[in-house]
Amino acid sequence: MAQQLAIIVMVDVSAAVKARTLQGNTYLLDNMKLQGSEGEGTGALVTAINGTHWVDGSMGDEQVLNWLPCALGSIPMTVPRNYHLHRSRQIEQDALTAIRDLGNSTPGRTNVSAELGRIHGSLGTKVRYRRPGGTGRAGHIALDVTGNPTGRAPSGASSAPDHPPLLITDIFGEAVERNVIFPAQYGSPDLVTDGWYWSASVDSTREGVYSYTMALEVHRPIEENGVWAWEPVRLTYQSRLRISNRPKRNAFTGAGVSFLPVPPPEPAAPAGTLDASTTSPSLF
Amino acid sequence: MNSKINVMILVDVIGALSAGTLQGGNLCMMDDGDLASTGQGTPTLITNCLPGQLIKWSALAVDVQTPVAIKSIRFRSPDGGGDEGSGAGASGVSGSGYDANLDLEVWEGIVPAYLTPGTVYRYDVELQMYEGAASILHNTSPGLMRAM
Repeated sequence: MAQQLAIIVMVDVSAAVKARTLQGNTYLLDNMKLQGSEGEGTGALVTAINGTHWVDGSMGDEQVLNWLPCALGSIPMTVPRNYHLHRSRQIEQDALTAIRDLGNSTPGRTNVSAELGRIHGSLGTKVRYRRPGGTGRAGHIALDVTGNPTGRAPSGASSAPDHPPLLITDIFGEAVERNVIFPAQYGSPDLVTDGWYWSASVDSTREGVYSYTMALEVHRPIEENGVWAWEPVRLTYQSRLRISNRPKRNAFTGAGVSFLPVPPPEPAAPAGTLDASTTSPSLF
Repeated sequence: MNSKINVMILVDVIGALSAGTLQGGNLCMMDDGDLASTGQGTPTLITNCLPGQLIKWSALAVDVQTPVAIKSIRFRSPDGGGDEGSGAGASGVSGSGYDANLDLEVWEGIVPAYLTPGTVYRYDVELQMYEGAASILHNTSPGLMRAM
């Protein structure tokens, strides 16, 4: 079934950032289990790529790989990417409304100080992005997986912050260097991947097992001069492909092409002169 | 007249598996023959052909990341009898019965001369979409007809 192949790269980002490695924190699965992929759902996936060729040796089916990264325990990928910004604005709007209500409350009947503290706490913590050129000026409120603000600091909060999207930034290694796969990053209107994804065509004539390495960008929360920011961390992970290549064959005969197996008409045998089972229809 | 006719079977795999049927817009068939085939774009494609022409069937998924393959093609007698067409296609395992790798199968054959002109020879296309008991669905509507 020559569908495009999808490899899901699922990462426990919090654990990976803490350990500074993807080993033991990465889970891979693809849609080729039926065709012989091994280690589905583990970090040791071997993706089966079943190539085919015609009798003249030319490639029978093109094989295309797609990689889709996702962070374990994060806000689902299907949620629009501006969700954090939208939630931040809503949380701030709710705080403004609460302050207005506090101003309209009856004097003496409300503990203003405690209520202001509660409102302040509801704002959570804003985090920015740290890049080589410095830290961004504005940020959004750090949210947990339910879309609510984490505590006062992303790293020490009672609920884990939702990390920025997991990114594949490169695919390299043996399979690329030996010209077995030809990876590149592509754009599409697919909302799940925000329009960018890594894909590769495969030279399925190159039978064997080949490794490849993915470079992934995760983010760790850091505090700098009282400002929280996401700092990108580049980690790598290696996986493997197993390529086989077998000849095409005619499905009706198991060998070469022949006549279609349409039931022949019943022979009209002359009465009493010919056994019908000995006749065969003329093909032309 | 073209010596070869390509019959394309286009399947909405997610729709078919969700509904448990290839009907209701989950499958359409079309060919590139030049003998005025009927039912183009529907499950009831009747491919008009002539003896000696090569007909090739291919399956294609609407969503390129969903799997679909032809598991068998079985011809029926034009009188509607229960007997299915002879040939390895009736093996019930895979088309040629060798193994389950349907990617290796090429569904093509030559139109025999004994077809009666104007008579529709129906066939049953068995499509496999991944694995499991619910993964195989049939379309019993299409046919071949020898042009007059």
